[in-house]
Amino acid sequence: RAAPSLARRGPAAAGPEAAAGSAASAVVLPERLQRREAERQQGVERQRQKKEAQVVKEEQSEFFLGASAREREAVEALLAAGALEEAAARLQALQKLLTDSVRFLAPYEVRQGQEAVARLQGELAARREQLQPKKKFAFRALKKEAAPGSAPRPAEPAPPDLAAPDPDLAEGDPGGPPLCGFSGARDEELELGGAELLQRDVLLSELRGCRVLLRGNPNTLRVRDCSGCTVLCGPVSTSVLVDGCSDCLLAMACQQLRTHRTHGCRVYVQVTSRAVIEACSDVSFAPYSWSYPGIERDFESSGLDRNRNNWNLVDDFDWLATDQPSPNWSLIPEQERVTSWD
Amino acid sequence: MGLLTILKKLREKERELRLLVLGLDNAGKTTLLKRLNGEDVGGTSPTLGFNIKTLEHRGFRLHLWDVGGQRSLRSYWRNYFESTDALLWVVDSSDRQRLRLCATELRALLREERLAGAALLVFANKQDLPGALPAADIREALELDSIRSHRWRLQGCSAFTGRDLLPGLDWLLDELGARLCPPD
Repeated sequence: RAAPSLARRGPAAAGPEAAAGSAASAVVLPERLQRREAERQQGVERQRQKKEAQVVKEEQSEFFLGASAREREAVEALLAAGALEEAAARLQALQKLLTDSVRFLAPYEVRQGQEAVARLQGELAARREQLQPKKKFAFRALKKEAAPGSAPRPAEPAPPDLAAPDPDLAEGDPGGPPLCGFSGARDEELELGGAELLQRDVLLSELRGCRVLLRGNPNTLRVRDCSGCTVLCGPVSTSVLVDGCSDCLLAMACQQLRTHRTHGCRVYVQVTSRAVIEACSDVSFAPYSWSYPGIERDFESSGLDRNRNNWNLVDDFDWLATDQPSPNWSLIPEQERVTSWD
Repeated sequence: MGLLTILKKLREKERELRLLVLGLDNAGKTTLLKRLNGEDVGGTSPTLGFNIKTLEHRGFRLHLWDVGGQRSLRSYWRNYFESTDALLWVVDSSDRQRLRLCATELRALLREERLAGAALLVFANKQDLPGALPAADIREALELDSIRSHRWRLQGCSAFTGRDLLPGLDWLLDELGARLCPPD
């Protein structure tokens, strides 16, 4: 009698509506719990079976030891045969196997495995060195990477504006614009005047025993492979290049003078910056003294400063000692200089 | 030094470029440098060693190394190859006799491993001279179209007058800028 009254009192305390609900859950709850418990048990069983299925093969020391021994032997064989790339690939696989197995291996086995991999890597490096001794240079790998990167995309940026050359550039026939100067003459008197020379780039090449008078203001002058010639030239706005000449008498005013491979020449020069010689011998210098009617006007159009003349400061690229003068060039003593040019 | 400072410094470093200016002697390398730097080009002397100029352009700091082009100096060019971002090859377009030599020297440079990653800007200089070969002829003479190893561009110009120098540099900065800070 007491029990029913207790049971009745409990729900009664919670209220009449709750009484009906708790009566229902008293039946449903155990049922739900039972179902969940069964599910859990099934899950655990599934997991256990799954784990067992795997563990059996791969996650046991014996499996690892066997597999790693096989791989090690394979790598050693490949190394001995000299198949380095293949050996490197197998060695990498071995390293991966070891890494994957660390979780279930005993520390001793891990250490053994690591030592084996390290030893094989050392052997591989030694074989590499032995078979490919050229691969010493450290930059190589980087550069090789850089080159192919830029290789597939060459040449495409330039075409657009070059396919149609700037109209300013091609004056006349682009294949051979008229050149100013003389070439290949022998024992001749050659002359050019102010109008022909003004701001032109003048070339004298392969002249023998000629006398060349250039009364005017060119932009540049090149004297190439001439021998036994006299070349007298007015003020040159920029640079003069004398290359491969011998036994010549030259006179010019210019901003720069470069003299290459030239021997036995006398140069009367006004140079506003510097004169240099390279691979020359027996070249002597004196101040520019040639003149002609109208040279004042040509100096003006040339832009050269008549008050600046470094004719006696010659740099020899083959003579870098500063405490001793270069034996390749000299100054012409005053009494030996040309006074009359006609 | 805070992290921000370090990052800023790295960033600044990235915007610095090393440009190597080479070419035969009398090509106009020093004049080109002086013109870009706004100096008087009238007093230019043949270069006995090298010149360095640092320019600011479009937010980049350009370190231009101009090494003398005389035959006896060419063997020293290699001392300047390291960490070069771009090679500026300057050609005297009026020097027909030495164009072949010019092409040979350029080819030798392009085979240099330490220049393998550098962009190549060829300046067909002295276009102000009436006897200058047009840029198209320089392109042919130097066989630029056969270059596969480097990104390149040819630009006709006159260092003496300053004409068309900037389009060349702008291409270079586009090229190097894209390489340094790829667009997101």
